[in-house]
Amino acid sequence: MSIPLSLGQPAGEPRRQSTFPAASHALARMGRAVRSNRKATVGTVLLVFFILVAVFPGVIAHDNPSLDAYKPHLGPSTAHLLGTTAYGQDMFAQLVWGTRNVMIIAFTVGLATTGIAVLVGVAAAYLGGLWDSSLGVLTDVLLVIPLFPLLIVIAAYAHGGGTLLLIVVITVTSWSYTARQLRAQALTLRSRDFLQAARVRGERRLYIIVMEVIPTMTSLIVASFLTNALYAILFASSLQFIGLGDPDTVSWGTMLYWAQNNAALQTGQALWAIAPGACIAVLGAAFALLNYAFDEIGNPALRPVRRSKRVRSA
Amino acid sequence: MSEVLEVSGLSVDYAADRGDVRAVDDVSFTLDRGEFLGIVGESGCGKSTLLFAVAQLLSAPARIAAGSVTFQGTNLVGLTDKQLSAVRWRDMSVVMQSAMNALNPVKSIGAQFTDAMRAHGKPSRDEIAARSAEVMRMVGIDPVHLGSYPHQLSGGMRQRSMIAMAMLFTPDLVIMDEPTSALDVVAQRSLMAQIKELQLSFGFAVIFVTHDMSLISHFSDRLMVMYAGQVDEFGPTRTVFDRPQHPYTRGLLEAFPSIRGPKVPLKGIPGSPPDLAAPPAGCRFHPRCPYAVDRCARVEPDLFELDEALVRCLRREDGSLPAPAGQDGSMRR
Amino acid sequence: MTSTELLRAEHLTRHFKIGGVLSRRTLHAVDDVSFGIGDREIVALAGESGSGKSTIARVLARIYAPTSGEIYFEGKPVSAIRSRRDRLRYSGLVPMVFQDPFGSINPVFRVQHGVLRSLKLHRPELSAGQRREEAERVFEVVGLGADMLERFPHELSGGQRQRVGFAQALAMRPRLILADEPVSMLDVSIRIGLLNLMAGLRDAQGVSILYITHDIASARYVADRLIVMYAGQIAEEGPIEEVLAHPKHPYTQLLLSAVPDPRAALSVAAETDRGEPPKVIDPAPGCRFRWRCPLAIDVCAQVTPVLAELAPDHQAACHVARAEAAAAPAEKVEQ
Repeated sequence: MSIPLSLGQPAGEPRRQSTFPAASHALARMGRAVRSNRKATVGTVLLVFFILVAVFPGVIAHDNPSLDAYKPHLGPSTAHLLGTTAYGQDMFAQLVWGTRNVMIIAFTVGLATTGIAVLVGVAAAYLGGLWDSSLGVLTDVLLVIPLFPLLIVIAAYAHGGGTLLLIVVITVTSWSYTARQLRAQALTLRSRDFLQAARVRGERRLYIIVMEVIPTMTSLIVASFLTNALYAILFASSLQFIGLGDPDTVSWGTMLYWAQNNAALQTGQALWAIAPGACIAVLGAAFALLNYAFDEIGNPALRPVRRSKRVRSA
Repeated sequence: MSEVLEVSGLSVDYAADRGDVRAVDDVSFTLDRGEFLGIVGESGCGKSTLLFAVAQLLSAPARIAAGSVTFQGTNLVGLTDKQLSAVRWRDMSVVMQSAMNALNPVKSIGAQFTDAMRAHGKPSRDEIAARSAEVMRMVGIDPVHLGSYPHQLSGGMRQRSMIAMAMLFTPDLVIMDEPTSALDVVAQRSLMAQIKELQLSFGFAVIFVTHDMSLISHFSDRLMVMYAGQVDEFGPTRTVFDRPQHPYTRGLLEAFPSIRGPKVPLKGIPGSPPDLAAPPAGCRFHPRCPYAVDRCARVEPDLFELDEALVRCLRREDGSLPAPAGQDGSMRR
Repeated sequence: MTSTELLRAEHLTRHFKIGGVLSRRTLHAVDDVSFGIGDREIVALAGESGSGKSTIARVLARIYAPTSGEIYFEGKPVSAIRSRRDRLRYSGLVPMVFQDPFGSINPVFRVQHGVLRSLKLHRPELSAGQRREEAERVFEVVGLGADMLERFPHELSGGQRQRVGFAQALAMRPRLILADEPVSMLDVSIRIGLLNLMAGLRDAQGVSILYITHDIASARYVADRLIVMYAGQIAEEGPIEEVLAHPKHPYTQLLLSAVPDPRAALSVAAETDRGEPPKVIDPAPGCRFRWRCPLAIDVCAQVTPVLAELAPDHQAACHVARAEAAAAPAEKVEQ
């Protein structure tokens, strides 16, 4: 019997040949997805805006945020876009420079938390047995401890340590939830034939974990990163607000702390509390929007149905 | 009225970013009381979508774009859920492909029967128990299994439970979406025989969707062959088997290796079903058709009547493709 | 054991412990199975779910170790394979093709990824350019164009993905491919293409294939020999035409009568059997088919039947069939 030749077009959109490696193809696809999904577009624009502000604060705000040389309690004006604080500092400058602190916390905690969670979760799922049990115990212990009270206790012991302490504390208490999620997904993948196929062709276990399992979990990993970054902002700001951060750091949470200390809302300096609060909300929303958008991109069933005006002819 | 169901010009569209995709294109058929209709086709032909459309189970992004589904005199298209619930399960029930997906894994079989019965009336506990036991016996399962959970039953028994559940109100129409595809060959044959026996005893009509043409050959009265969302051939089962008109039907029949008779090399049907977002011009089957000519790529054939069946093929219509020879050893049912 | 046999399984057994940590129940997935696969041969291993056929494939692929028994490959025992080099060598000579076209290829990489990795691991002497050439070659052999290499799995149909699976196996220059139900999840019209490919691999590439399936008709189409499994044991085996024409084991007869054939009349026997294969947990001795067997006699409940040659090269494990075979020549003599 003769061997049949190539069998015509496959179902699905034919792709042009590309010599790019798979990674850049994935990036191109993400770019397309971001542009087509409204939530992703808005979220990305906002996030990019805040990143730019964090990287180039001097370009936007010309004043030193900590300098208390101005007249206090000034309202908004052209010289001081948001006015001045009770200590005579330029509020706008504080907001702009504070963005850097917030973004550093968000990204560092996001990356660190997700990184630890990936290592622990995926290794536990793939190695199984004793590894799974012991890592599971570690994860579960941290999972069960109530997060916020723990944060408060640790931060209180550290007597208002700086940003680094905040980052460490939040990371240590946050990774376990994501680890559990990633472990669960890795477990479902374990029985997938392509992993067995990799094993049968002789790949080593470490290779399989890093090169075969983790790449198929990217959407969950990205979503975890976004969620963790979002929660990092909220937790850090909350800790700073109740005075457990270093009050001399320029950040949105510390602005809230000082505003609260000076009863800003009651004494007609509402902008002092509202401005940083609004920024936290908007940045949080950016991460949340991106999270939803990634869900929709990854899972077409979640996409909103938009009736197309053009009807395809049969 | 001997007609139980009339589907007329039914079309189903899937909304997509680049324009709607027509998954089912202008399907029409009638179903008489007690008739067994088999719908056969491969992946992407639209048979399951058609089934869901008839049962009014479509959800976004799919929707019925045109046509009507008249069940016992009432057009079901456009009815609200509340209006449909009067018909659902009492007069029309559905058996799904995989019992493990359709049954609730955390409820016992009996509890699920109870749910179904309570959803359509107010039966007493005794009535529920009696009817549940009765339908289980109908499908050949000891009623003691009413207390079992789905995962405790074998694949064959789960599928039988699904059928029992569909029989709770002895409906006039039972719609089945590949109920045997997850089963082994002996269990498949047994289940098919059971379905046929129930159908003959209780006189309900059946619409049976499958990808396995040989399975349905002994059980259906009429057979509908679908390809790329359209009906390509439709007629009495024996006619379609003995004298397949459409090249796709012929190809399908020849794709089954036989365990009896001489061993012959087969070709199957090379290629894949088309992307319905951009179907081929003219006849949708022409890229894979061994008999295609130039005209097939330009003109879209319509269904026409030929030898007791409806066929969608230009070359059969103008007679340029010879009629099929009757199959040797064909048995009349 | 013949020295020309490519692979020989002797008394292969694989049990699984089931239940909790304290349970002592064992599932007998495969029990005392012996068979051989020759050069340039397609052997079909047929049975229902739970018959043990997939477990045998996984034991042969060394995904599981046998509970007892031995596998001889090219005359040498597989249990002696220890070093990574030997393990790698075996996995290249005896690769596996999986059932699920949608799950057996990693969706995030282009389809060439598996082939290139196979080449990198098993033929390290090749340069990157040579690997690329070899990948193109095996893609051509399985009927996919070289332009398919750059595609992603979701752009390919089910049949094409299964061909990629065969390409990955071929890249390692195998002697025996373990094909675990490679066409079960494909459309019927596509199956023939894959079956033709398998026959082509045997004829043109000289590769043997262990074809695991529950579909006897497709087994007949490609295979040279047939092994019928039931409840972890071999019920019958022999040249496929011989077994299909003269099935000796009642289970084989049941399977054959249940195969839907539109050209034949409906058979009654298969309708009454429900198709409930047993889960073999801590079995007692005796034939495991006896509860479904229309011919069962007393001895079937007491003594487990062993495979015996009832016709030239045709073996079956059935007391009744054995008695019949013994009686038949005597009758002939009388006449």
